[in-house]
Amino acid sequence: MYQSKVNFLAKVGLLSAMSTILMFLDMPVPLMPLFLKLDISELPAVIAAFSMGPMAAVLVELIKNLLHIANTQTLGIGECANFLVGVAFLVPAGYVYRRRADYPGAVLALTLGTVSMVFWASVLNYFVLLPVYQAVLHFPLDRIVALGSAANPHITDLKSFITLAIAPFNALKGFVISLCTVLIYRRVLPLLRPE
Amino acid sequence: MLTDITLGQYFPGHSFIHRLDPRTKLVCTLIFITSIFLAETYTAYGVLTAFAAATVALSGIPLRMIIKSLRPLWLIIVLTVLIHLATTPGTVIYSLGPLTITQEGAKQALLMSARLVFLIVMSSLLTFTTSPIALTDGIERLLNPFRRFGIPAHELAMMMTIALRFIPTLLEETDRIMKAQMARGADFAQGNLIKRAKSMVPLLVPLFISAFRRADDLAVAMEARCYRGGENRTRMKELRLTLQDGLAFTAILVLTVLLGVLRWNATLS
Repeated sequence: MYQSKVNFLAKVGLLSAMSTILMFLDMPVPLMPLFLKLDISELPAVIAAFSMGPMAAVLVELIKNLLHIANTQTLGIGECANFLVGVAFLVPAGYVYRRRADYPGAVLALTLGTVSMVFWASVLNYFVLLPVYQAVLHFPLDRIVALGSAANPHITDLKSFITLAIAPFNALKGFVISLCTVLIYRRVLPLLRPE
Repeated sequence: MLTDITLGQYFPGHSFIHRLDPRTKLVCTLIFITSIFLAETYTAYGVLTAFAAATVALSGIPLRMIIKSLRPLWLIIVLTVLIHLATTPGTVIYSLGPLTITQEGAKQALLMSARLVFLIVMSSLLTFTTSPIALTDGIERLLNPFRRFGIPAHELAMMMTIALRFIPTLLEETDRIMKAQMARGADFAQGNLIKRAKSMVPLLVPLFISAFRRADDLAVAMEARCYRGGENRTRMKELRLTLQDGLAFTAILVLTVLLGVLRWNATLS
């Protein structure tokens, strides 16, 4: 397939548009607090990573979240979180797939991406994202934890909130995105192989 | 169903705020949002309220639209009020069983919810009075000085514009494919996780293929018209800063200084 700078711009633009649309089709997950919502808007970014490299995927994530900020339900903090966690998923996946661009390579890339996403999501939420909520709204952290324990009684403090809500949520998200990618992989393969 | 999604919430008009340069609006909104955090006293919040009310009045956006913009965040607002009301220690003014409301709690609840409301109202005012394309243009021009540090301002804006242009097209297409597959017996809303993911395949594959085809066509069309990036590119609508923008900057500067002075006084006393 013919690749040029303009072609790159056009593809990233179209994939971002698709990603933004998929972001609106989100759904709450049972046993999780309200502000964690599952969607498959990372899927176009995965396709971007596989066909054009990690940089394209990061751009798709960035544009999707910039466009979604106008409809934010969390003052933009949710969008920041989505961007950072998405990057943690896509960059390793993109690099691995670049090394080995076939089906096993894709599975390995997605697995590593999911692991990296779960790790970074936990770290970022513990040190940055939840404290930012607290700073902006003077929102006591234990109250956010209480939001979590309303959904799952085993959540009692910030650490258990991370291990019982943030980490499983991101593992689930990684699993769903990987599953979707694997399911469509063979059929979109012609799009992924620039010649 | 799907076609109900609207991105942003532009409300066309010709008010003073509408006519401001998008760059001015972006920068002023950022300054306003930052200066909210300077306010801690009732007087400071009074000043903020006056400023916000004046801006809303100038924009000519109907009040019900502004109130509607608060709706997606009502849960956070209510939670903020309740949490501060119920958990701040201090002088008790009312108590009912285990629930006690203190003077400090009432103040915190009022001020923090006001802070949230200002944040939401002023940022939605930006999207009410500026179309997404104008905003993208403004972002491009604001990022332009950072080109030398490797930030691709023009390319980013171009990709955002392409995304904005194709969102309605792809939405229509998604809707059409979903209906076509439902007519063939597809079920998108039921079953467990794996079943649902599998049901998405006949939707996602045609979408990706069509998105890539559209991107190829678009790239060919752009190259045929000699598009070669941001250098020396001319525009149909040039952005120009006018006297109005100067006025807006002066107003926001006065507000910030005033809030700074009030904060200074509060910490001294």
